Amino acid sequence: MTANPYVPEMLAIDRAVREIDGVVTFTLTPPGGFRFAPGQFNMLYVHGIGEVAISISGDPAEPAHLVHTVRSVGTVTRAMTALGQGSVLGVRGPYGSAWPVDAVRGRDVLVIAGGLGLAPLRPAILHLLANRSSYGRITILYGARSPAELLFRDELQRWRGRFDCRVEVIVDHAGHDWYGAIGVVTQLLDGVAVDQGDAALVCGPEIMMRFVARALEQRGVPRDGIWISMERNMKCGVGLCGHCQLAGSFVCKDGPVFRYDRMAPLMQVREL
Amino acid sequence: MEDLERILKSHPFLAELAPEHLSFVVGCAKNLRFRPGEYLMREGDREDQLYLIRHGTVTIEMPGANGDPICLETIGSGDVLGVSCLTEAAAHLDCRARDTVVAIALDNACLHRKMDEDPRLGYAISMRLLERTYERLTRARLQRLDVYR
Repeated sequence: MTANPYVPEMLAIDRAVREIDGVVTFTLTPPGGFRFAPGQFNMLYVHGIGEVAISISGDPAEPAHLVHTVRSVGTVTRAMTALGQGSVLGVRGPYGSAWPVDAVRGRDVLVIAGGLGLAPLRPAILHLLANRSSYGRITILYGARSPAELLFRDELQRWRGRFDCRVEVIVDHAGHDWYGAIGVVTQLLDGVAVDQGDAALVCGPEIMMRFVARALEQRGVPRDGIWISMERNMKCGVGLCGHCQLAGSFVCKDGPVFRYDRMAPLMQVREL
Repeated sequence: MEDLERILKSHPFLAELAPEHLSFVVGCAKNLRFRPGEYLMREGDREDQLYLIRHGTVTIEMPGANGDPICLETIGSGDVLGVSCLTEAAAHLDCRARDTVVAIALDNACLHRKMDEDPRLGYAISMRLLERTYERLTRARLQRLDVYR
């Protein structure tokens, strides 16, 4: 990207796909490609509105395209999700730490996502599946609010159709036309084999990650076998401005992916 | 009976129950099969069975504002239905088989009698029910938080 880390590269949107209500996936094609590690994020800038940190949701093995999945929740993302093909987005990055896909080679991997948390995990899942023989069992557990709010539904079906990974989905609420599980994502852990050697990659709302981490610990997975992706108000993206400071860490530079043993004590501190 | 004892032993709810207690409980147990749509429990009914689900999915429902049932949760293999069986409470939810459900039903009156006769068995079963109740309470709290909104 640009030599100055504060100057975004302006890129035209090639494709904008409405995934679910209020959530849009953008595909951009940076000249020269865009290499990133699963779990990293970019600062995306809407001209004249502002900049936000958004995880990369594309395939790390396809650097020709840069993919971001954005939910409309505030001023900037509301303006962003209104953009369509041909509109321009400013991009700075990639920033931050990555899911430990190399460090967990040879182990059984549990990928546990909640809501939009599936987007930052998608690059890791694609990497795990593309390098399937390097890992033990791969289990993907996904919880969403309702069937209408399931992200990447077609892709979940494709993954579920593979014989070499297990995909389980649960929703908080559903009508009688839904034949899947109803309840919370931790419930899915009851139906899968979990042991202390497993590596767990977890992403979703912070409170969901706490519940999941606790459930994993109860099943014997130690804190240093769990990784989570944290979200804070990131501004500079390079660990200078301090907006995303979390005790002694900057979420933009030291995170967003942290090993849970480092985050657990902080997550129990109110107002942090 | 021996087969039923083996099935009971393999259910997570009774895992690690002392062998003498397992033999004691087996007299209260029967193996049941429910067809899709069939109710295991209806709101207002006395909870006279504790169901240990072996196979299939059960929906836990209550009537919504317009009378249509709202599914609060699904439970399946390894789960337990009727955790308030130790109390006088009547069922406050409908529990219906979504597909073919196979369960062990423990007769509550019989179970109570045996728990009274052997307080160590009573303690072991009560602790298991308390754990299941706590797990369900934790899940209900998380669900109530509506974290994905």
